[in-house]
Amino acid sequence: MSHLQSIMVQKSDDDKMHQLSSNLIMAVSGEAGDTTQFAEYIAKNIQLYKMRNGYELTPSAAVHFTRHTLATHLRSREPYFVNLLMGGFDPDSNTSELYYMDYLAASVPVKYYAFGYGGMFTLAVMDKDYRPNMNVDEAYELLKKCANEIKRRFIINLPKFRVRVISKDGIKELPYVVAEGEAA
Amino acid sequence: MPDFSEIFSLQSILNYNGGCVVAMRGKNCVAIACDLRFGVQAQTISTDFERVFEVGPHLYIGLPGLATDTQTVFQRLQFRIKMYEMREGRRVKPRTLMAMVQNLLYERRFGPYFVEPVIAGLHPTTKEPYICALDLIGCECEPEDFVVSGTCSESLYGMCETTWREDMEPDDLFECISQSLVNAFDRDALSGWGAVVHVIEQDKVTTRYLKCRQD
Amino acid sequence: MATEVMEVGDYMRDPRKHHFSPYMDNGGTTVAIAGDDFVMVASDLRLSRGFNIFSREQSKIFGLTPKTMLASTGCWADVLTLNKVLQARLTMYSHEHHDVMSTTAVAQLLSTMLYWRRFFPYYVSNILVGLDEEGKGVVYHYDPVGHMEKLTYSAAGASVSQIQPLLDNQIDALNMKNVTPPKMTKELAHQLIHDAFISAAERDINTGDGVIIHTITKEGTSEEKIKLRRD
Repeated sequence: MSHLQSIMVQKSDDDKMHQLSSNLIMAVSGEAGDTTQFAEYIAKNIQLYKMRNGYELTPSAAVHFTRHTLATHLRSREPYFVNLLMGGFDPDSNTSELYYMDYLAASVPVKYYAFGYGGMFTLAVMDKDYRPNMNVDEAYELLKKCANEIKRRFIINLPKFRVRVISKDGIKELPYVVAEGEAA
Repeated sequence: MPDFSEIFSLQSILNYNGGCVVAMRGKNCVAIACDLRFGVQAQTISTDFERVFEVGPHLYIGLPGLATDTQTVFQRLQFRIKMYEMREGRRVKPRTLMAMVQNLLYERRFGPYFVEPVIAGLHPTTKEPYICALDLIGCECEPEDFVVSGTCSESLYGMCETTWREDMEPDDLFECISQSLVNAFDRDALSGWGAVVHVIEQDKVTTRYLKCRQD
Repeated sequence: MATEVMEVGDYMRDPRKHHFSPYMDNGGTTVAIAGDDFVMVASDLRLSRGFNIFSREQSKIFGLTPKTMLASTGCWADVLTLNKVLQARLTMYSHEHHDVMSTTAVAQLLSTMLYWRRFFPYYVSNILVGLDEEGKGVVYHYDPVGHMEKLTYSAAGASVSQIQPLLDNQIDALNMKNVTPPKMTKELAHQLIHDAFISAAERDINTGDGVIIHTITKEGTSEEKIKLRRD
C-alpha cells in the first residue's frame, strides 16, 4: 500500500487494485502515471461493455481485451509501462482465474505471481507453500508469510498490504496484512 | 523511466522469453514439437505455455520468440485464416498459410514482430508432407528434412542432423523429434520445463505431452 | 575566408579512433570420450577466421606426455602460446623430478596456469585427456579462466552446442526410458565422434575439412584421419 517516489514514501494507504466488474480485479504496478491512466481506461471500457450489452465480460474475455489494448499501445509512439495481475471469478464456469501480464503484453494464466523486487522474496515462499486446493484462510496465511518475508529480507519498508477476495459472492475486502517479525 | 533500450537489440529480444520449436518430415507424416517454458530472462513464470497452434485439420504453426508477439501474431493470423476460409469456402493449404505468414510479417519489415515461425502440415488433397521455417520478416526456408527455431536452435541442428532419417514411420518420427527436442533444450537454460509433440498423419493427429527434467 | 571554413571543417572532424582487439576466433571443434582402458580425442582440421579458411589440415591436438594430450580451440595465437608455456613447465618438471608428470597433475597445472591469467585470459577452450594412475581414461574440460571439470566425455569449441547434446543422449542415455547407458568401447567412441563431426560440418562453417582422432591406451597412442566436407 506504499506509494514510493525515489527514496521517499509519498503515501501509505494507496490502493493499487482497480475493480473492473463485479467479479474482476486488476492490480497494477509500473510507471506512476501510466498505471492509473491505463487501469481506468480498461475499467471504464469494461463498464461500457456491460452497459451496451447488458452482461459483463468474463475474466478471460477481459484479459484478452486488456492484452489487445496494451499490445496495440506497445508499438505506438508512447507505450504504457504497466505490469498487471488480473484476478476474477467466472460464475458461468464456476472457476477462479488469475492472469499475469507484463508491459510487453505477454499474458499467461498463473497460480500465483509477484512483480518487482517483492517477487524475489515472495515467489520462493509461494513455490514452497502454495497448494491448488487452499481455502481463503490458508491463502491469507500464505500472504502473511510473504509480507513477513519482505519485511525480513527487503531493504525497503513495505509494511501494509491490502487484501481482497474474489469469489462467487463477489468482491470482499479482508483485513490488511501487516508484516510481523524482525527485519533481519 | 521505463527501459525500452532492449527493443533495439534483436538478439536479446528474441531470447527474452525463451522457447523453441522443431518440425520434421516423415513418410506420409510430419511432426512438430515445442517446449513449454514461459519466462522473463532467467525467471521462469509458467511451464504450460504452448507455442505451437492448430490452424487447420492437418496444419500447425509454431511461433517461438517474444511471447507477446507469439500471441499477437497468432491472433492476427487466426483472424486472417478465418476471413480467408469464409471468403473462399475452403480450408487453408500449407503453402497458402506460409504466404499469409510472409505477408503478415513483411508488412512490419522495419518494425518487426519478434517471432521466427515454423509451419508443419499435410496438403489437404495430395497429403504431401510440408515443413517450413521463416525468419522474423517472413523469408521462408522449405527444406526436405527438418526445421528448427528458437533459443536452442544450434543444439537442435546438432541433434536433428544426426538422428533424422528419410521416410520414418509415425512412431519413429515421434521418437526422433522428441529425443532431438528434449536433449537439445536440456543444454539450454531458456527452454524446457516440459514439451508437447504433435504427429500429423493422413487420418489422425496424435498429441503427446512429454515428461522432462525441471531445471 | 574560404580557407578558414575549410580549416574549421578539418578540425571539426572527429578524432580518428583506433580499435584493437587482442583476441580472434579461429574456429575449430574438439571432442573427447573416455573408456575404461582408453581415451579418444578428436579435432577437426579447419583453421578459420570469419569466412576465410587459413588451413585445411591443422590439428588442434597436442601431445604433452606419452599418456596425456591436450585439445585446444579458440584464439589460435593463444593456443600456441599456452601450449608452449605448458610444454616448458612439463620439461622443467621432468628435469626436476626425473619422471613424466601424471595426467591428474597436468590437469591441475593447466587449471592453475589458466587462472594466473584471470584478468587477461587465454581465449582458449581446452579439453585435456589421458590415462590416470590406474590406467583408466579421463577427460578434463576447462573454461578459459581455469574452471576444471572431470568428465567421461566432452565437446568444446565452435560446434560444442551441436555436439554436446548428442553425446548426452548417446553416451549417458539421457531422456531414454528403459535404456541403460552403453559400455564405452573404442568402436562406439569412434562411431560417435565420426557421426558428430559429420553433423557439425554440415551446419557449422567453422568446422570441416577433416577430423583427426587420437587414441591413447596403455600400449601407446595411435592416430587416424577422416575426411570431412571442405565447403
